[in-house]
Amino acid sequence: MEIMQLHKSPLFLKIIFIVSLAIIFFIGAITFKHITVLKKTSTWISKSYEVNIELERLLSHVKDAETGQRGYLLSKNKSFLKPYDDSNEEIKKSYKRVAELTVNSRAQQRNLKKLQYLISRHLNYLSKTLYLVESKGYNEKIVSTNLVTGKEAMDSIRVEIEEMITTQKNLLQYRQNDYNSTMNYTPLLIYLTLLITLILITIAFIKMNRDVVLLKNTVHTLSVAIEVNNLSEIIGNFGSWQLNLETGTYTFSDNQYRLLGCEPQSFEACAHEYLKFIHPDDLEILTEKTQNIKSHNILPPFTYRIIRENGEVRYLKSMGQIVTISSDNKTFIGTTRDITSEIDDQILTEERNRELESNNKELSAFNYIASHDLQEPLRKIETFISRLVSKDFNNISASGQQYVGSIQKSTNRMRVLIEDLLQFSRTNKTEKNVVNADLNYLLENAKHDLAQAIEEKKAIIQSNNLPTLHIIPFQIQQLFINIIGNSLKYSKKDVAPIIKLTYSQIVSNEEEFLPNTHHCYHKIAIEDNGIGFEQEYAKNIFVLFNRLHNKNEYQGTGIGLAICKKIVENHKGFITAKGNLGVGSQFNIYLPVE
Amino acid sequence: MTADYITICLADDDEDDRLFFTDAFDELRINTRVKTFKDGVELMNYLNHADSILPNVLFLDLNMPKKNGVECLLEIKKNVKFNDIAIAIYSTSSTEEHIEETFVNGANIYIKKPNDFENLKKILSEVVTINWQYHTSGLNKDNFLMRM
Repeated sequence: MEIMQLHKSPLFLKIIFIVSLAIIFFIGAITFKHITVLKKTSTWISKSYEVNIELERLLSHVKDAETGQRGYLLSKNKSFLKPYDDSNEEIKKSYKRVAELTVNSRAQQRNLKKLQYLISRHLNYLSKTLYLVESKGYNEKIVSTNLVTGKEAMDSIRVEIEEMITTQKNLLQYRQNDYNSTMNYTPLLIYLTLLITLILITIAFIKMNRDVVLLKNTVHTLSVAIEVNNLSEIIGNFGSWQLNLETGTYTFSDNQYRLLGCEPQSFEACAHEYLKFIHPDDLEILTEKTQNIKSHNILPPFTYRIIRENGEVRYLKSMGQIVTISSDNKTFIGTTRDITSEIDDQILTEERNRELESNNKELSAFNYIASHDLQEPLRKIETFISRLVSKDFNNISASGQQYVGSIQKSTNRMRVLIEDLLQFSRTNKTEKNVVNADLNYLLENAKHDLAQAIEEKKAIIQSNNLPTLHIIPFQIQQLFINIIGNSLKYSKKDVAPIIKLTYSQIVSNEEEFLPNTHHCYHKIAIEDNGIGFEQEYAKNIFVLFNRLHNKNEYQGTGIGLAICKKIVENHKGFITAKGNLGVGSQFNIYLPVE
Repeated sequence: MTADYITICLADDDEDDRLFFTDAFDELRINTRVKTFKDGVELMNYLNHADSILPNVLFLDLNMPKKNGVECLLEIKKNVKFNDIAIAIYSTSSTEEHIEETFVNGANIYIKKPNDFENLKKILSEVVTINWQYHTSGLNKDNFLMRM
């Protein structure tokens, strides 16, 4: 895995570069060494040849001396002695030269000494023979012996010189071999190292090429991302900025300029220019917020105002953060959003809310007065009439008595209306005491409230086990009272009412009239065997003051079921009604499962 | 009852209601002495007077000028001198808030003014003849509001 990673890292290229460099240095060093060896060898070769020449020359000088001596001996002509005399000097010169050339070879030095001895011996013989001949009455025999000895000496010189030349040749051969052995593997080594370098460079090239392609793709992706960002900045009404903390240079995005009401990049991005736009009252908060950045590494969101060139005031919200992109290059990045419309909306909403609140207060005060304060004079009228009836009824004429009865009926109806209205307005109230309450208990309370009517009608109320729900208890109790009361009221005259309450849990999309969501609901169905109603009126019966029957047939204010609807809505539930004229009606209450 | 008669006080700013109240007791033939006041200030002045005979049962209307029923209730409950007075709230309204507030502040019973004279007589006779010690010890929010 690490190796796989290695060839992707820039380190790989560095390693290749260093290795290649080392190889080139190595090749250079080897080449230098070989050239030096070559130079030495060639010096050696020329030296050897010189030694050979000089030795030949030495031999020829010795020969010259002998030839001269012989010529003189034969002719007695003094002119033959000239080369003999000169050769002595020449031999010395040549000898010296050979000694200089072979100073590094001990074997040759040894040979040379031997040669020197042989030459001087030979020369001695030559001079001795000459001397014997020049002296009067020389012995022919001695001269002849001397000549023979001289010839032997000359032969040994020849042999010696021959040997020296051979030694020199051997030395040269040895050098040559040495040089050859060094040179033999050098081309292969250079070739191999060059090959390796070539491979490495090729790999590096491939890698670099791949990197370039990758870089191109990345640059492409990046420029697309930048364009997308520019677009989203425009639609999102925000801009962005950067501050390189090392160099102190700022960059503003195009939309950052637009937020200020300027053309993109129309002025140099810097703090000084930006501060010119800030509302004077907000300069303090801006400097205060930006002061803490370096210690906290973060600029928490805050809102300030700017003034555009045309004098328009806009609300901006900024936040930022210091990020470390490469090892020690810290950049302070941030975004700014124009929240003017949000703030305007907020102000508008607040205003509307206040208006609504005061309207609501007025309305509930009106409701309270209408229902509560109206009860007071009504109660007095009723009380006075009850007194009139109990005290002076018999003193009133028959028609007067009838009028009193009508007044009683009307006031009674008015009282019911006012009480229902009061209840309706109280159901409206938002103070909700939502607690867990047992529906069975609430149903019992409702039955208790309706005890008189139940007894009168001999009604039977059945219920299976109802659950305990999270509700506003007194409202649900009222709901039961109103619906059961409704069933009792609209019962058939000759049939004892049977009212059935059943509980189940349902999913909303399986149920008629409910939204097509998948929420769970508690369903309480209340079914009766009363007079029922036509299904087309099912929705109307929940509308305030809406009645299906004439008030002379059935008493009612048309508020009861409206209250039921309100109660169910207070619980975020639904209520539906199903009617079957002459058979009965069913009310379904749906309360959401928490 | 140790005394020969029951002393009853009513504070109500409505003249008609005071009339119904006294008429009802007149017709009830219970041995009572009824005293009425037209507002809370008048009532408290009477109660705080050293010579006054303290009532056995005090009926308090809630909505009164100058000093309303709840203010009177608080003042009475603060003073140990009035510990023996049974307090009946006597009001047109029977809203939860009023019932709750007066119950918490120590009233003994809550009566919604009836709209029938015969009913009124029935209620008053019942209230006056309640054994208050017994009623108060078993007092709870359910039997606080008088139902007829």
